[in-house]
Amino acid sequence: MTLLELAQAVLLLAGCFFYAIGTLGLFRFPDTLTRIHALTKVDNLGLGLIVLGLLPFAAHLAAAAKLLLIWLLALAASATAAHLVALAVRQQQEGNPHDD
Amino acid sequence: MLRFLAVLLVWWILTDGEASALAFGVGVAVLVMLVSAVLFPRSGYRLVWYRVPGFLWFFVVQSAVAGLDVARRLLAPSLPIAPGLRALTVHLPEGAPRWLLANVLSLLPGTLSVRLQDNQLLMHCLDTGMPLEAQVRQAERRVAALFGVDTGVAL
Repeated sequence: MTLLELAQAVLLLAGCFFYAIGTLGLFRFPDTLTRIHALTKVDNLGLGLIVLGLLPFAAHLAAAAKLLLIWLLALAASATAAHLVALAVRQQQEGNPHDD
Repeated sequence: MLRFLAVLLVWWILTDGEASALAFGVGVAVLVMLVSAVLFPRSGYRLVWYRVPGFLWFFVVQSAVAGLDVARRLLAPSLPIAPGLRALTVHLPEGAPRWLLANVLSLLPGTLSVRLQDNQLLMHCLDTGMPLEAQVRQAERRVAALFGVDTGVAL
């Protein structure tokens, strides 16, 4: 096992570890808003580590760029989704679903 | 033109750099560029290109800190969180800069953008004891520098 492979293994395992923790957040945190914190932030870290671990495996430049593009898209999607869910929760709490 | 090149780059990435797909990709890129120009007209703000790497670095480091922060709280048996809502006044101009700030804050430690109404940003905080104001101002300064805009106040 080369040093690079070892580093990759550590990165991938750490990524999976953070995904597991993000899911743990769904159980441990008390309400929807705090759970969003767990899902967005911890899962993004997990995805970042996995992408970082896979980058040296990429067959060519375009494949590596595709990994980065996936990461960027996931970041944008999770930030937007988190915001929309939080907004919906807030409006429900205020009891005025059509107010924006 | 920049938009066209960006779309073409994405095409090149999606096709794994396949050269034979490039001619078709140019046609697709032109169409996508036209559609995107209609859907997202120019905002009037331009990124300061040489500040993009610094901003990305700031963002990547901070979002990693955010993930570690939440993970640490989750793994602590006492679950040390003090969630609550905070409202803040945003000093960035309307449009892309404000929008970027709200989205970036959602991925930074402890904050989650709930609602952006005019210049009032409502955030949900995981721990209201954190120095949130300072964090938001720092992110705001970064976004302002990225767009090369003046926030009108000494931050």
